[in-house]
Amino acid sequence: PQLQHFIEVETQKQRFQQLVHQMTELCWEKCMDKPGPKLDSRAEACFVNCVERFIDTSQFILNRLEQTQKSKPV
Amino acid sequence: NRKHLEASLRRTMAELGEADEAELQRLVAAEQQKAQFTAQVHHFMELCWDKCVEKPGNCLDSRTENCLSSCVDRFIDTTLAITSRFAQIVQKGGQ
Repeated sequence: PQLQHFIEVETQKQRFQQLVHQMTELCWEKCMDKPGPKLDSRAEACFVNCVERFIDTSQFILNRLEQTQKSKPV
Repeated sequence: NRKHLEASLRRTMAELGEADEAELQRLVAAEQQKAQFTAQVHHFMELCWDKCVEKPGNCLDSRTENCLSSCVDRFIDTTLAITSRFAQIVQKGGQ
């Protein structure tokens, strides 16, 4: 049980880091035009939207895949 | 701390009976399946985000959702098409 807990925590940490890495890459592409002297408010707003849309999209794809697997198991 | 973990693991393995081992195998298989599914979602995410999301807005509009649905379906179709075509070629080559 102690070992199980440790593994769960470490796995969760790893998953979190992977997500952050992926989101940073994707959102940089979408929201950053030309890097300026500072992070302007438009880019910041875009990043906020980006993270939220990323989560929405992941959930959407997950639902879609589950639906697809139920109708035609691959 | 690592020694502690190793000792704990050794104790756990020693305590496993036959029934427990089967249960453990089932748990591992379930976890593997979950991991595989998560990897799939991750993969589709990378492919379809680029194709379907231009500038992230306040919500997922219907055009984006349709694109994402199509993206998932078409990718699966593509994989099947390529697999069957390639299998055909390999089969013909074998004869």
